[in-house]
Amino acid sequence: MRDGVAARLLSRRSLPRGALLGGLLLAVLILALCFALPLVWTADPYALNPVSPLAHPSARFPLGTDEIGRDNLARVLDAGRATLLVAIPGAVITFLAGLIYGLSSGLAPRWADAVLMRLLDAVLALPGLVVLIFFAAILRLSTPSLILLLGLISWPPLARLVRNETRAVRDRDYVQASRQMGAGLFHVATTHLLRVMAPVLAVNFTFLVGDMVLVLSALSFLGLGVQPPQTSWGGLLESALQLVALDPWWLILPPGLLIFASLLSASLIGQGLLARQGGGR
Amino acid sequence: MSAPILSLERLGVGLPSHGSGRPVTVLEQLDLTVQPGEMTALVGESGSGKTIAALAAMRLLPPGGTTEGVVRFDGIDLLAQDERRMRALRGRIGMVFQNPLSALNPTRTIGAQVADGHRLHAGGSAAQARVRAIDLLGEVGIPNPARRLDDYPHQFSGGQRQRVMIAAALACDPKLLIADEPTTGLDPLVARQILALLAGLRRSHGLGVLFITHDLSIVADHADRLTVLYAGRAVEWGAARRFFAAPRHPYSQALLGAVPRLGQASLHGIPGLLPDPARRPPGCRFAPRCAYAQAPCEVAYPPPVGDAGEAAACLYPQPAPLLEAGHAAAAFEAGGTAPLLALEHVTVRYGDAAPSLSEVSLELRRGECLGIVGESGSGKSTLGRAILQMLPYQGRILLDGQDLAALPREALRRARRRIQPVFQDPRESLNPRLRVRETLAEPLRLVGMRDKDRLAREVASLLAKVGLDPSLADRFPGQISGGQAQRVAVARALATRPDIIVLDEPTSALDVSTQATLLTLLRDLARSERLATLFISHDIAAVSWLADRIAVLRQGEIVEMADTMRMIAQPNHPYAAALIDTAPRIARR
Repeated sequence: MRDGVAARLLSRRSLPRGALLGGLLLAVLILALCFALPLVWTADPYALNPVSPLAHPSARFPLGTDEIGRDNLARVLDAGRATLLVAIPGAVITFLAGLIYGLSSGLAPRWADAVLMRLLDAVLALPGLVVLIFFAAILRLSTPSLILLLGLISWPPLARLVRNETRAVRDRDYVQASRQMGAGLFHVATTHLLRVMAPVLAVNFTFLVGDMVLVLSALSFLGLGVQPPQTSWGGLLESALQLVALDPWWLILPPGLLIFASLLSASLIGQGLLARQGGGR
Repeated sequence: MSAPILSLERLGVGLPSHGSGRPVTVLEQLDLTVQPGEMTALVGESGSGKTIAALAAMRLLPPGGTTEGVVRFDGIDLLAQDERRMRALRGRIGMVFQNPLSALNPTRTIGAQVADGHRLHAGGSAAQARVRAIDLLGEVGIPNPARRLDDYPHQFSGGQRQRVMIAAALACDPKLLIADEPTTGLDPLVARQILALLAGLRRSHGLGVLFITHDLSIVADHADRLTVLYAGRAVEWGAARRFFAAPRHPYSQALLGAVPRLGQASLHGIPGLLPDPARRPPGCRFAPRCAYAQAPCEVAYPPPVGDAGEAAACLYPQPAPLLEAGHAAAAFEAGGTAPLLALEHVTVRYGDAAPSLSEVSLELRRGECLGIVGESGSGKSTLGRAILQMLPYQGRILLDGQDLAALPREALRRARRRIQPVFQDPRESLNPRLRVRETLAEPLRLVGMRDKDRLAREVASLLAKVGLDPSLADRFPGQISGGQAQRVAVARALATRPDIIVLDEPTSALDVSTQATLLTLLRDLARSERLATLFISHDIAAVSWLADRIAVLRQGEIVEMADTMRMIAQPNHPYAAALIDTAPRIARR
């Protein structure tokens, strides 16, 4: 039964309309926390208070202090700015690079596609961290250069995905019909391919933001990411976990929850956009 | 009368619904019997519940499916058996499905797959099973079975694969064979051979056959009894001969009338849509679409009228209508006018294989409809795509006397706009993520129309042109029926006011009742818009209804081309004659 009972029964239920709104609210909340709250909570994230190391949350230190007595709330907010200012632009750059490369390769004639894909293999073969260490050695790592470097090493998987999807869709009847009506490749890419790939793209962008937050913390661990004394959420989590025997829950929970909240927000926005674009299947 | 091998008594099936969580009743109160050595046909359009009935009988429903009633196979109530017992019983019921390629394992030889069933149910050595496999393959008409035993499924044609499936089903020595749309997707010639094979087997093996199909005309020759299903309930059932002589239920009549026949003057589709399973009318399910419905039809499901031999569930059974004969030729400008489109020695070749299309020459005039018929692989779709300039070819294709291949890029783009396609599967040819409004606006935007109000007006007028409600504009393709989607595809093709439309099997993915409506629409549009149409199909009856001339294509070559009336009355080429012979005829009624 092509379009009978079975198909209707198996079709996915549309997501609740609240997803997009919830995701956006969460995003606004996180951004406000990292960029607006520091205007109110003016404590210095780097100031040491040797008298009160590892203090529990109190009126003076709402999220307690770390092992050398720095105000944890200020640290979390500062780290959040550092994390988001790299992760979001990094994800956007990676996304655009992968998308454009993948679309070009997928729509190109067979020989050009082959060349572009071998080039991509070459980039994939480079170990990302080694490349980063190399650049870290010859460059001074500033935020913009870190963003560019992250973008440089992360785009190939997405590019390959987009290219494969493009190849799968480009000969479909509706693309053929569109070409017959005089559509050029740019029109096909923007009207048909992007719309059809939207689910895959939305999910992958969500992953990218998450990946960036995680890569950034891995880099911080190697001393290559956000430069000390500034740190990232991943870095905060990393150092709190070294004290885990002392059970400093106030140091572990806030960065952990914020990483989780950012990923959740990105995911909800992605799913919400999809639901709005709708589509029966 | 001997005891039936299979009897369904008041069978009902509910399936879980993912949407509301409430189970949906998809089949109700189905009574049906299959006698040994007889063929019972279960006929219905998609969504009628015919496949679900077979799955329920075999206890193969998807998880969460519920059944009521009795399924008696050889005296045993199948619904009361445990799964272990059921597995042994299933071997004695052979099943043949629509797509043999997905039912056969591509990595094993057909000999091994046919032998499997024999060893599983009869035991014995591998050598014995092999001998049996050779016997069975010979019996189902595989030429030279001993040599082909070690071939793989992909080395067989579609029709032969279906024969292999039947042999594999017979290997278990079944008493009953359930065939679910085994001929759908096959060429008409091959489909008839498969049906004749099943009909022969039922006699030679004393086999009961349950034949499930959407096509009433294909079972007319061989079925002994039949049941017509509509929206989950039987509307008419009984002896096939009496049914075909005088169908009484308006739905049965409409279904028969919707099948194009050679020499038929007018086609009648069934207006309206199949009711949603969750919102079926309380009375006769067909009442909302029925021309003879009156108030009492909507109160309760009608009791059967008739006798034990043949009955219809209808309050106002109708005498069988007579189909009008005749062929209304189009008023195209014949004679002196220059052809709109001309093909000169067009050849298409993929790699080193034999050409898919070789040396095809033909002409198409303004307002004329040329039918292209042939079996799958004959090159008819390739011909359509060459005309659309979608693939490289040798030879010349001239539009208004201009060689398309010689045109500069921009001129070619304009010329291609004048030739528009309608493809086979409307689900494939509409972007699933574009609303109908966007799909229809796309060609207009591409010719530079930007004004929102103007676009909205144009979209509404296109929808009206193909007989669709303007409210459909906001839906996605997944939210409309297959027939509606195909109308949208037609509307899109019309948007740029083309001169030529290439229809590539435009009706073969649609239900019978929808096909007739679409064919009528296409003919009316071709006339009102003065379109030249190229109608590609394997259904020669449908082609003969629409086309002014017919070309028969075989292995990439045109073996015969003639005016429609001449072609169906007097085909010269034996292949054309064989094709015409398979088509349903008006005279038989």
